[in-house]
Amino acid sequence: MTKLRNVAVVGFAQAPIVAADEHHTGPEMLYPVVQAALESAGLERSDVDYQCAGSSDYVDGRAFSFSQVLEVMGAWPPVQDSHVEMDAIWAAHLVWVKMQAGETEVAIVCGFGKTSEGSPAHVLNLQLEPFYAAAIGLDAASTAALQASAYMARSGADDRALAEIASKNRAAGAKNPDGQLREAATPEQLMATPWAVKPLREGYLAPIGETATCMVLAVEGRAEKICDRPAWIQGVDHRIELQALGARDLARSESTTLAARNAFEMAGLASASAADVVELGSTNPAEELILREALGLPASARAQGGPAINPSGSAQCANPLMNTGLLRLAEGFRQLSGRAGERGVPGAKRAVVHASAGHGLQQNIVWVLGTERRWS
Amino acid sequence: MSEPPKERVKYIDTNLNLPYHYYAGDYKALYLRALRDKKILGSRCSKTGKVFVPPVIASPESLAPCDELVELPHRGIVTTFCVVNVPVIGREIEIPYVVASVALDGADVSLYSLIQECAAADVRMGTRVEAVWKPDGERQGDHTDIRYFRPTGEPDAPFESFIHRL
Amino acid sequence: MKRPVAVVGVGQTHHTSKRVDVNVAEMVREAVDRALLDAGLEHDDIDAIVLGKAPDPLEGIMQPEQYLAGALGAHLKPIIRVHTAGSVGCTTALTAATHVASGLYGRILTIAFEKQSEGNAMWALSPNYAFTQPMVAGAGGFFAPYCRAYIARSGAPGHIGAVVAANARENAGRNEYAHLRDPMTVEEALNSMMLWEPIRFLETCPSSDGAIALVMANEDNARRGPRKPAWLKAGATFTEPMYVPGRDQVSPLAGRTCAKWVYDKAGIRDPWNEIQVAEIYVPFSWYEPMWLENLGFAPLNEGWKVVDRGDQKMGRHLPINPSGGVLNTNPIGASGMLRFGEAALQVMGRAGEHQVGGVKTALGHAYGGGAQYFSIGILAAEL
Repeated sequence: MTKLRNVAVVGFAQAPIVAADEHHTGPEMLYPVVQAALESAGLERSDVDYQCAGSSDYVDGRAFSFSQVLEVMGAWPPVQDSHVEMDAIWAAHLVWVKMQAGETEVAIVCGFGKTSEGSPAHVLNLQLEPFYAAAIGLDAASTAALQASAYMARSGADDRALAEIASKNRAAGAKNPDGQLREAATPEQLMATPWAVKPLREGYLAPIGETATCMVLAVEGRAEKICDRPAWIQGVDHRIELQALGARDLARSESTTLAARNAFEMAGLASASAADVVELGSTNPAEELILREALGLPASARAQGGPAINPSGSAQCANPLMNTGLLRLAEGFRQLSGRAGERGVPGAKRAVVHASAGHGLQQNIVWVLGTERRWS
Repeated sequence: MSEPPKERVKYIDTNLNLPYHYYAGDYKALYLRALRDKKILGSRCSKTGKVFVPPVIASPESLAPCDELVELPHRGIVTTFCVVNVPVIGREIEIPYVVASVALDGADVSLYSLIQECAAADVRMGTRVEAVWKPDGERQGDHTDIRYFRPTGEPDAPFESFIHRL
Repeated sequence: MKRPVAVVGVGQTHHTSKRVDVNVAEMVREAVDRALLDAGLEHDDIDAIVLGKAPDPLEGIMQPEQYLAGALGAHLKPIIRVHTAGSVGCTTALTAATHVASGLYGRILTIAFEKQSEGNAMWALSPNYAFTQPMVAGAGGFFAPYCRAYIARSGAPGHIGAVVAANARENAGRNEYAHLRDPMTVEEALNSMMLWEPIRFLETCPSSDGAIALVMANEDNARRGPRKPAWLKAGATFTEPMYVPGRDQVSPLAGRTCAKWVYDKAGIRDPWNEIQVAEIYVPFSWYEPMWLENLGFAPLNEGWKVVDRGDQKMGRHLPINPSGGVLNTNPIGASGMLRFGEAALQVMGRAGEHQVGGVKTALGHAYGGGAQYFSIGILAAEL
């Protein structure tokens, strides 16, 4: 493996994840978050030499939505800047690539998405191929259910297996002060909830919420001065699959397997099981089981030993669109840098972080973070 | 959007009708409520003293909070403008009409507004204008409460006073 | 660039007001196939894909790169989607370049497109929010006041806009891919309807359907390719907020900062004499003299004199937009990458009938938002 530049996550802040913040606009939610992230890193805005946001015009219901947040990200005098129409975790990836290219040393990544102003179910339908898939009215819950069916049919996983995974995440989410869904629930309670779209129950689906996020990344030489315990990026890769639900094996996540293999190889990590923490971007328990399989992790919530999986409660307990992925990377940072509070995994040295985009886990990114630099 | 192809199998029609309700945010709601009361509020930057209208919570220039609300006069100058000859979807307005950047007295950023009650040819860069409001009882607390601005007939503002603050 | 980056393949569609013969995926694939063919490569040779386009409401598909994964040959590859308003095409190409410069990817396919005929651009670009300042007059109505301010500041005579438009059209006549190619005189432009005074109908860009794809590669791959590469000497994007008191909307600081940055990185001290051709983003004709100043090709308030002298025409000192530019071809999201790609073709010596003689260094430029987003690449014939 070629020697890469050591880059670390050195700061993070977020707004509370809520169903609807009717008191603030998207930029107003982000303003204090950027200030807090910079303050947590002990930085002035002028110390930052690049910024990149992740958001969606359709989520916000307006063209050029990202241009609103320039007003609060600190873009005067003019700054080097970009924006991806993706979850902000891909903005973080672009920053990492830019750092490898020697184009930035300290950067901020911002995510925002004012989901409560629109109708996410209708909005996410528009991601689908327009002639056959979008036109029949599929929404994210329906495509997730198609995927869950495929997985359950192949693996033999039953409703209880899903409920146990969901319950485990709910218990973890209850301890996460930054979560949205913070009530623990037993498998039995969840199995008593009505079908959302069979075989997925209402109790299994993530609430769509809204927040604003800001992460600070820095290269070696700057990172350790900014942060007492940087979370070093040891490996990362992302991959997409065909969208058409009939054109890929919905019961597996081939892109996750491939991205993980590449990220682990880069990091020198034998497998996900060798990490101390695994944080997944799954928004329902069937997705989590598919991802566990793709990453070589146990297929049951009852498995003992191995890494702590989803200490934050995962995206199943909060799915603020366009921020959901970046929050996973933030959880990895918090766990490795001693900022995870009561849910902190003692002595965690390595974290595997995953996030997803599109219907039925179409696009996946896998990171390996560590308390040590990968390259010396 | 153009006319569809002639042959029916070559396209599908979709009317994307997505509902949104945009939150003004509590701060901008103060501004909208004030419009209903025939007042124009701006916010002052705690660091530079510059005044933004509509009010913003923070200055994009200094990033400092703008937590002091100030009431602005209903008068200002046209810094620049264009004369529109194309009908705009969703607006019933006689063409040609003037869309101008209006710098209210005491504000450091301009508002976009219509200029009416005069011929388009009589609008100049520097023309002094005043707000024309919807009558009492009809104002709802939105941007249409100021129907437009009209010339006051006062002497024009000198070019140098506004050309670098459009 | 930390590591050399080159454009090794260029492919574009013929641009037109509506491509009813193809859907979005097929139109994009057309450009992709042409770029790969041009580079002598196949999908398997591509390590990652960078896609750019303007707002999704223009076509009504959210994050269309997901739906387009098949058409792009992206299955099991990394793909990212850039969106930085009108500057996006150029910024997307520069993002692809960053991927190559990182050393992580050897060959990148980058694509930008717009199929404006499938949606309503006026609606997509001018939503009305009750509590913000309504943009009552479309993009032309938004930019026309700044053109007026430019004219007032610089004392430019009224015919300059028409001269720009007629020259751009003459250039487009030599570009087989351009959307508007019919001959047009200065008088015709002057006599065309005043849409958003001071902007006339024939001084305005069209709405186009079209796509462009580029293959960018590292030094090893570039030297092994079938064609002479175009080397990227420098590239940057700079952005500024809209509501900064005293912001110069006529010659925005972000544009001036971006130009200075890329010139410094490319070792250019005198752009007027060291650059032989520029493809710059001119959706309304007055923006040509405005950007000539903003880019440092002319002193403040003197950009119009370049146009008045004709120094921007083919065969003269610094040909501007030999392709015909945005004024004659505007698939919004693709327009910036067309500037970058045309600049690459010029340094490769493969621009066909609109090739400028003796090009060593070319500039590609785009801007977007309320003249807030700037993106510039400098391409060179030699590394």
